[in-house]
Amino acid sequence: MLFENIKEALTSIASNKMRSVLTMLGIIIGISAVITITTIGNSIRSTLNSTLNSLGGNMVSAYVQARYPETDEEYETWVYPDMDEDDYVTDEMIQGLLEAYPEEFKGIATSTFYQTGQIKENSEKYANLSVNGATAEYLEYMKLNFVCGRSLTKADNDGEKNVCVIADTMAKRYFGKTNPLGQMISVDCANGQSLDLVIVGVYEYSNAIFGKEDTTIPEKDRVTCLYAPYNYIQKIAGNEKQGMEYFDLIVDTTADIQLATQHADEYFNENWYADNKDWYIYTYNMQSQLGIIDTVINVVTVAISAIAAISLIVGGVGVMNIMLVSITERTREIGVRMALGAKRKTIRLQFVIEAIVLCIIGGIIGITIGIVNGALLGKVADMIIQSMYSDYAQYIIMSVHPSPKAICLSLFFSMLIGVFFGYYPANKASKMEVIDALRYE
Amino acid sequence: MSEPVIRMQNIIKRYYVGKPNELQILNGISLDVFANEFVSIVGESGSGKSTLMNIIGILDRQTEGQYFLEGQDVNLLSDDVRSDIRNRRIGFVFQNFNLLPRANALKNVMIPLMYGTASVKNQKERAMEMLELVGMADRAGHRPNELSGGQKQRVAIARAMINNPAIILADEPTGALDSKTGHMVMDLFHKLHEEQGKTIVLITHSQELAAETQRIVTIRDGNVISDKGGTAHVI
Repeated sequence: MLFENIKEALTSIASNKMRSVLTMLGIIIGISAVITITTIGNSIRSTLNSTLNSLGGNMVSAYVQARYPETDEEYETWVYPDMDEDDYVTDEMIQGLLEAYPEEFKGIATSTFYQTGQIKENSEKYANLSVNGATAEYLEYMKLNFVCGRSLTKADNDGEKNVCVIADTMAKRYFGKTNPLGQMISVDCANGQSLDLVIVGVYEYSNAIFGKEDTTIPEKDRVTCLYAPYNYIQKIAGNEKQGMEYFDLIVDTTADIQLATQHADEYFNENWYADNKDWYIYTYNMQSQLGIIDTVINVVTVAISAIAAISLIVGGVGVMNIMLVSITERTREIGVRMALGAKRKTIRLQFVIEAIVLCIIGGIIGITIGIVNGALLGKVADMIIQSMYSDYAQYIIMSVHPSPKAICLSLFFSMLIGVFFGYYPANKASKMEVIDALRYE
Repeated sequence: MSEPVIRMQNIIKRYYVGKPNELQILNGISLDVFANEFVSIVGESGSGKSTLMNIIGILDRQTEGQYFLEGQDVNLLSDDVRSDIRNRRIGFVFQNFNLLPRANALKNVMIPLMYGTASVKNQKERAMEMLELVGMADRAGHRPNELSGGQKQRVAIARAMINNPAIILADEPTGALDSKTGHMVMDLFHKLHEEQGKTIVLITHSQELAAETQRIVTIRDGNVISDKGGTAHVI
């Protein structure tokens, strides 16, 4: 019976194709808008997710932040405070945190720029460098890829060893075919200091990490980064006692990043900075940044869905209108069916099903258009990224995902519109007197 | 004598009841139709014969009086049960055929099965049988607009027969046909009456057609004015 009704409805819809399509238009537009926007939202979300995870999603970032006055009056006389020695984050604090939450924090990723420098053998053979201090975790966080040798280690840092890693482009230019590993280089810094460093690793220069090499500068003059252990650089700089202003904490992949962020925040601000009038530690993570974007996407989705809902209501009224026309046109048919034994509820069911089928077909067309729209916009976004941000393109994993939830919901909603707007005309049809309907001209 | 299939007692039908333009169409008609009878109800237009036929067919309700179909007072029944009786016990043949335009002949014949409460197996085979009975099996796949008037009416008769009803109610079945095809349709009714033993009630304004039947009930101004032939039947 149900199957018969659906077949009947399809025949009836097919016999008035133009009219049916025009009737469905409101629903098609509404549903396709919802699917397009949810597909885009979903794609942005998953793209950001995979991109941020590839760039260190398991990090809690923290920095020393000034306490801003809370009222406008205070603000007028307020001066940005100077940082004293006590205001920096010290190794002691970090060690305390790592010991307090050994399950959550695996280490600290931090770096500091020290000086520009140069290694020089003669006027022809030299290389320009940017001398940085970094922890092993920082290099790991940067996702540096080592072509030979090794990265810096915790032991290097703890021992304040005079070792370093250099870029492969620089190694090729300066050392040529000679193996750079184990070579001692003497770096003349801009402040006049000279650092003797042993090369332990060569990393691959990546446009995505450092940006494209500046081709306006002759190749041999280009500056590349050299990384020495963080503590070693701090010692050289005379900052041994001074702590950090900015650092990243590496969180175990199995731990809850939000909880870890909260723990870090509590640890610093309740233990170490509680009595500090001018400074506190601000903590955040990429995931919560993602959460903000998520909220924005959700707001946009809801806003567009609300507009689409208006379209759906208009579409539904269109369906109701056409169903009323249809039952008037088919009054005789209704009369015949009743004379042949169709009960009132059977007639009602027939027309409700017809309205539902009409709406669901509209919904399916809308979903298809929405998915195609989403995919097209995804392609466009990908093209824009490739052409404008080609340096980062390899890190942006564009993926178009239509939301299955939105599709199911759309289908269900189409059905609901069919029931809601189809019921009144169908009920009207079922209320006809058989003899009047039969005689209808 | 056995129980009549149709028993009408003092049927009165009024329209606009209680209003100044109240109109009485049937003035207390009593009529018994027995199994295997072929009865024609004759009357000029306005005589009330169509109103009578609507009441017999349970398409309309009488204002007063009692109507028993196979011993059941149908006026007391709910809409659903009346639908069910129309479906199973009455086969309608209309003047204007009333076939569904979008369905082919076979589908049209199957419609009453669709609304039946009993599940009938081999619905298609049963419908084909009916089409064969009326000589329309080779046109099963044709839509009404591809059929001639006589062919349409034969499909309609097949549809009327499919649930094996107690009576066939034919309302001016030849009214829209030329006399030759009209005779063909009448021959079909005679065949169903004689071979299948169907009870047939034929409503017509034509004395000529009525003369072919066993019993002629003449109606004028809402009254039965003559009932020739009695209740005897001949096979």
